[in-house]
Amino acid sequence: MPLGTLDSSPPPFFRQGPSALSKLFFFGLLAVLLMVADLRFHVAQPLRATLATVLYPLQWVVLRPVVWLGDGGRYFQSLQASQESAAAAQYQLGLQSQRAQQVEQLTLENARLRQLLELRARVNAPALAAQVLYDAADPFRQKVILDKGSLSAVQAGSPVLDEYGVLGQVTQVYPLASEVTLLTDSHQTIPVLNPRSGVRALAVGVTQGMALQFQDAHVDMQVGDLLTTSGIDGIYPPGMLVGRISQIDRHTSDVFARIRVTPVAHTHSALHVLVLKPSADALVANAVAPAPPASGPRRAKP
Amino acid sequence: MMMPRGKELLLPVRQVFIWASLATALALAMLQNMALWGRAAWLPDVVAIVLVFWAIHQPLRVGVGTGFLLGLLVDVHQAALLGQHALTYTALIYLAIGIHRRLLWFSMAGQMAQVLPLFAAAHALAVLLRLLGGDGWPGWSMLLAPLLETLLWPVFSVLLLWPQRQAPDPDATRPL
Repeated sequence: MPLGTLDSSPPPFFRQGPSALSKLFFFGLLAVLLMVADLRFHVAQPLRATLATVLYPLQWVVLRPVVWLGDGGRYFQSLQASQESAAAAQYQLGLQSQRAQQVEQLTLENARLRQLLELRARVNAPALAAQVLYDAADPFRQKVILDKGSLSAVQAGSPVLDEYGVLGQVTQVYPLASEVTLLTDSHQTIPVLNPRSGVRALAVGVTQGMALQFQDAHVDMQVGDLLTTSGIDGIYPPGMLVGRISQIDRHTSDVFARIRVTPVAHTHSALHVLVLKPSADALVANAVAPAPPASGPRRAKP
Repeated sequence: MMMPRGKELLLPVRQVFIWASLATALALAMLQNMALWGRAAWLPDVVAIVLVFWAIHQPLRVGVGTGFLLGLLVDVHQAALLGQHALTYTALIYLAIGIHRRLLWFSMAGQMAQVLPLFAAAHALAVLLRLLGGDGWPGWSMLLAPLLETLLWPVFSVLLLWPQRQAPDPDATRPL
C-alpha cells in the first residue's frame, strides 16, 4: 500500500495557525459587530445584497424542481377542473366589472367634487406585479420573498397587496429579489381606519393576526367591522382593505380594549401580489404642483 | 497513531468532497424551506450537522472560519438577523473541535448523546440572540430541532464517510 493512502496522518507540529479559542473570539466578535450593524445602524445592507447575489444561482437551481413540479401538476390537471376554474374566474370578473363601472363613475364624480372644492387630487400609486417565491425560513419573523428586486425598481418601504387586501411592506431589497414583512409580523405596524365609525387606530402584528393598540375601552368598534388603511402615514394609499375585527375584550379593569384583527390578505398562501410605490413621493409631488383651476363659474366673494 | 479498536482504516478525504457536501447541505436546507415545509421552527439544520461532522472528522480542514462564512450565507438566505447563524455556527464548531478527540471512540449511541447538547446549545444561543434583538419565541416546536439533528447524525455519518470507505486500489475482482 503506497504512502498517503490512509487518512490518519499525524497533525503538523508547528504550523497549526491560531488556536480554536482565539478564532472563536475573533469570529464571534465579528458576528456580534455585524448583528449590531444590521439591527441598530442598518448599515449591513450592501453586504446582504452582495451575499444574496452570490446565493442567487444556488437558489435558482434549487427552485427549479419546485417550479417544474408546479407546472407539471397544472399540466396534468383534468380538463373539467380547469374549465370549472375558468368559469369561476369569469363569474368573479362579471361581479367585478359591474363594481368597476361604478368605481369609474364615482372616481369621475369625486374628481369633479374635489375640483369644485379646490381640494388636491387623489393620488394613484403606480404598481408593479410580482410573485411570491417562498416563505423566508426564519421562524422568528413573518416574511416572504418576492421575485422582483431593485433591478425591477422595487423600493424598500413599498406597500404590498394581494387580491384581497394589504399583505405587508417591502423591508429589504436585493438586486433580484426582495423581502416582504407580513402584517402579522410582530415588528410591523399599519395605521387603519374603521370606515363605519371613523375611528383611527394602529394595528400591530401579533401571533396569527393583528391587534389594535391603545384603543379606549369604550371605543366604537364592533366584531365584524372592516378596517381600511387611513392614508395618513404617507406609505399606504387610503382605502385599502386591511382586516376584519374578529374579537373584542372589554374588561372594566383595563384602560384599553383588547381588539384582535384578522387580515383579509391571505398571509399564508398569497402567490401573486402588487407592489405599490410609497405614496409619500407622489403626495409631495402633488402638494408642490399648483392646484388645478376650478372649472365652472365661481361665485364672487361677498 | 492510536485508534479505537475495531475502527476501519479510511482513505484520505478529498477537499472537493468537503466543499461539495457543504454546498449540498446548503441546497438541502433551501429545499426544505422553499419546497417542503416553508417557515417551520422544528426544521433540522442540515448545514449545522454537516459542519459539525467535518469539524469532528477533519478539524484541520473545516474550522471556525468556514462556519462563520456559511453562517453568513444561511443568514441571508433565511432573511434572519445578519450574523445570527454566523455566531451560532462559530460557537458550534468551537464546541465540536473541543470534543473531536474523544467522540470517535464512542459507539454511535454514545456519539449521539454527546452531539445532542451541542445542537441544543446552538439553538439556545440563536433564541437568546433573537430575544436580545427584540423578537419573540418562535413556538415550542423548536425544541424538536436539536432532537431531529441528533437523529440525523448517524445518517450523515454513514453518507459522508462512504467515499473514504472505498478500497484503496479497486479492481475487477474486488470492486469495493
